Amino acid sequence: MPTLPDWAVQILQVVTVLCAAPLVSGVIARAEAVVQQRRGPSVLQPYRDIWKLLHKETVLPGSAGPLFRAAPYVSFAAYATVPLLIPVLTSFPLPLAYMGDILAGGLILGLGGFAVSLAAIDSGSPYAQLGSSRLRTFGALNEPIVIFVVFTVALTTHTDLPYALGETLRSSATEVVRPSHLLVIAAFFMLLLTETGRIPVQSHGSTLEFGMIEEGRVLEHSGPGLAFLRWGSSVKQLVLFTIFLNMLVAPWGLAPTGDLGRVLLAIALLLAKAAAVAAAIVVIESSFAKLRLYKIPEFTVASFMLAVLAVVMFLFGPDFGDAKLTVFGAFATITAVTVLLLEYGMLRSQDVWEQLRLYALGSAAVAGLAIATAADGHGGGELYVLGGVTIALKALLFPLGIRFVLRNLEVDARVPSSMGVSSSILLAIVLSAFAFVSLRGVALGSEPALPLSALPVAVAGVLVAFLLMVVRPHAPSQLIGFLALENAVSVGSLVIAPGLPLILALLLLFDVLIGVLVFVVLVQYLAIERTAVRTDVLDRLTG
Amino acid sequence: MSWVLIAIVALPLLAAALSLVDGWRVARAVTVVAAVATFALAIVCALDVNQGHTLQTGHGWMRLDSLGAVFLLATGLLYAVAAVFSIGYFASHRDEHGFVAYSRRYHVLLNLFGWSMVAVPIAADFGTLWVAVELTTIISALLVAIDRTDASLEAAWKYVLIASCGLGIALLAIIFLYAGGTAALGDAYVPRFQRLLGVAGGLSDDTVRLAFVLALVGFGTKVGFVPTHTWLPDAHSEAPAPVSAMLSGSLLAAAFYAILRFFQVAVVSGNRAFAEHVLVVFGALSLVAASLFVLRQGNFKRLLAYSSIEHMGVIALGVGFGAPLAVAGALLHVITHASAKGLAFFGSGALLRRYDSKEVEDIRGAGSVAPFSGPMFFAAALALCGLPLSGVFRSEFQIVTGGFAQPAYVGVAILIVFVNVAFFGVLWHAGRMILSAPDGETPSGEVSWWMVGGMAACLIVVVALGLHMPSELSDLLANAAQRLRTPLA
Repeated sequence: MPTLPDWAVQILQVVTVLCAAPLVSGVIARAEAVVQQRRGPSVLQPYRDIWKLLHKETVLPGSAGPLFRAAPYVSFAAYATVPLLIPVLTSFPLPLAYMGDILAGGLILGLGGFAVSLAAIDSGSPYAQLGSSRLRTFGALNEPIVIFVVFTVALTTHTDLPYALGETLRSSATEVVRPSHLLVIAAFFMLLLTETGRIPVQSHGSTLEFGMIEEGRVLEHSGPGLAFLRWGSSVKQLVLFTIFLNMLVAPWGLAPTGDLGRVLLAIALLLAKAAAVAAAIVVIESSFAKLRLYKIPEFTVASFMLAVLAVVMFLFGPDFGDAKLTVFGAFATITAVTVLLLEYGMLRSQDVWEQLRLYALGSAAVAGLAIATAADGHGGGELYVLGGVTIALKALLFPLGIRFVLRNLEVDARVPSSMGVSSSILLAIVLSAFAFVSLRGVALGSEPALPLSALPVAVAGVLVAFLLMVVRPHAPSQLIGFLALENAVSVGSLVIAPGLPLILALLLLFDVLIGVLVFVVLVQYLAIERTAVRTDVLDRLTG
Repeated sequence: MSWVLIAIVALPLLAAALSLVDGWRVARAVTVVAAVATFALAIVCALDVNQGHTLQTGHGWMRLDSLGAVFLLATGLLYAVAAVFSIGYFASHRDEHGFVAYSRRYHVLLNLFGWSMVAVPIAADFGTLWVAVELTTIISALLVAIDRTDASLEAAWKYVLIASCGLGIALLAIIFLYAGGTAALGDAYVPRFQRLLGVAGGLSDDTVRLAFVLALVGFGTKVGFVPTHTWLPDAHSEAPAPVSAMLSGSLLAAAFYAILRFFQVAVVSGNRAFAEHVLVVFGALSLVAASLFVLRQGNFKRLLAYSSIEHMGVIALGVGFGAPLAVAGALLHVITHASAKGLAFFGSGALLRRYDSKEVEDIRGAGSVAPFSGPMFFAAALALCGLPLSGVFRSEFQIVTGGFAQPAYVGVAILIVFVNVAFFGVLWHAGRMILSAPDGETPSGEVSWWMVGGMAACLIVVVALGLHMPSELSDLLANAAQRLRTPLA
């Protein structure tokens, strides 16, 4: 196939994003409808909307000035500029790629949002101003998140040029499963949800003005202006997807040359990868509720904390050295980070049922690790058995059993906290950093093939589980904290001692089973005798 | 001889099963028989291993050497006496509503508790050891909560939560050690003590030190080392008196035994100085803090609990000093403390039944109100202070002498000063309870002769160990101390 000149590819990058963006929005809307058992709009609906709006007349609020009229075009132009800077289709830098680094890209995206916010104020409409001020308030942390995310990646690459970041990841897949990088991915994904106006921050397509944030801002726009705003916001969404995919998660499948065939393949792959992210978003949108307004900062703070934790983990965390990436190693690291993040989730959660669900998820991850360890050839077939028993016991029996008992006791499911969510998460980060620092120089003398990078993460999980028990004066929640602790220890054990004989592993599990039974009996006593499972009232015995 | 090991583990389990199926008279008889027989078997074992011989079952999951035998003796003694004492302790409640169910629960749990503690020194590998120690926690938590009062539930909840967390850390220690051993023993092996000791020389210092410190913090939570001791006074004060005695005398020691197994690994791998240093620091800290708490206690069961922390500190110091005499003294202290503290807690139970209060203020003239248990409680207080004629004097004297021989002057100075602080505290409170004039309201006389009998048995052991050490026992202690100093020899 013919080879395209670089400038043509550069234009094609922008055109691809502009053309495909409404499609991605349409696919997400359709998929959500299908998941919710509705038929839903066609995936082409966003194009039709834009077309329709382009042919409508513009109605301006009385107070609107030139700012209001210019805003849609300024923001659209800003969003359309960013694809020039980032690797959308090619793995090699295009002529204009070095115009700006990733921070410049972020600032240009910011300019687009800023213009829309100004227009909202200019319109004089109270709802638009409300949306605008909310977005500014909740979005205050988004820029620091981006900066920390970029820092973490830039620390490895020694540059923050988008193409160089992708290139580093491509050079070694080990970089992707580095624990700090996994956290970066998680933090950026949460940022993605915030920035694209998804649940749990906002609900897309709501018609209730009071709950609106992003959509509230554009209420006063109409006609072609509104068309460009809608189009612009879907472009922004795809741009963020592209940054997420081609710089952080999966910078593979990009065209190494300007060959037309390779470029077309890159377009197809980009759409496929975007579809995968869209699928994740659909799952999240369909399974979580929107956060109450004053809880939204917690979400952004959590994302920010993850980014901070990523930097901490990078600076103090385990060193990969020259260890080669194995599927097993990747799996172990991902599981350890998952279990740790789920504990952060429990720390945030105020609801005992949600904590139980998070715990069950963590247990399933541990069981998966056991099975992956077995598949990697460790510990004979015994680890398959262990994985099965783990699922049966820790992912099913414990959560369901505890739920059954708590339902019967009619205990208060709201988990009180003796400390604010943000401060407890901050403390958790300090504890995690402590785990990384203290294990950094430790030579265990075991073979380097072991995914030792997962070990400090597991130890951090143990410490965070302690914190969970300390800050929650609620007996069932403390029990869940204990179980989370046990999960973290299990991860550590699978990572550094996968050969532990099955009989011992089963004995340990059996012990945990008895422990849980005793815990449950005590919770029952507490609930019956004291009619409460609060443990902060247990303060008779002192001195 | 390996049948003894199986029998010693099977007996309490059998007793627990029998207590389940029948009425309370049978349950208590079965419990007493099983407990006394367990103690007898423990003595048989100890006599067999006191020259360095080890008992082992064919499949290798159970093993007893002289080090374990010391702790087995302490456990066996308290289990047997507590079983006897329990008869009297619950006698006055016999007609209460729900006594049958209560008694069944109590006896089943008591036997299971005894079983789990007997299993600790018999376990042959770190995994089983951890499982046994965790079992002691969760079973005894139910025993602490058995009265289901506000205070006992609070104590049990704190206990099971804090101790389980500690054991989580201890499990991490075992996993580190296991990972260290894979280089020499292959990916999959049972982490038997002997096997790991055999390859301990090749373990990296980091592994051993990390494992030792984690084990000390983790199991140390159960030993009651400051600052993770906070569950201990609550649990000891709220449990029924026989259970308190077993908690204090053998549960704390059993957890310390687990630390000693890590200590052995540290010694073989050349980290002896490090391990001793850490033990001395934790021991001194516990001793200092606990002896100060003893001074200001108004609840005599909590007073005894803090005294237990203090004595665990003394034991840790003894092992930490490292001189053979001090180590043997520390191991002797395990037994003498078990008997003296058993006596004290039994005495506290007898006084509690007489006066229906745990406050020092409420107990007046116990020396004449309870003509036997009062004076015996006072004798226990004297023994715990380490006065001559008691076995505690002998063991503490050995530890101090060993400390001077080492020489570890700072540690010995702390030991002497703060043991005297505790001495003052215990004696002052006990004196107010026993030697004061009776309040005239409390009827005098003993509540039950079973309680007096249990206490007398403990008193005999305490005094006998003070007057004359049987040569078999000193052989056992010397051999156990030898195992701690040069585990491979």
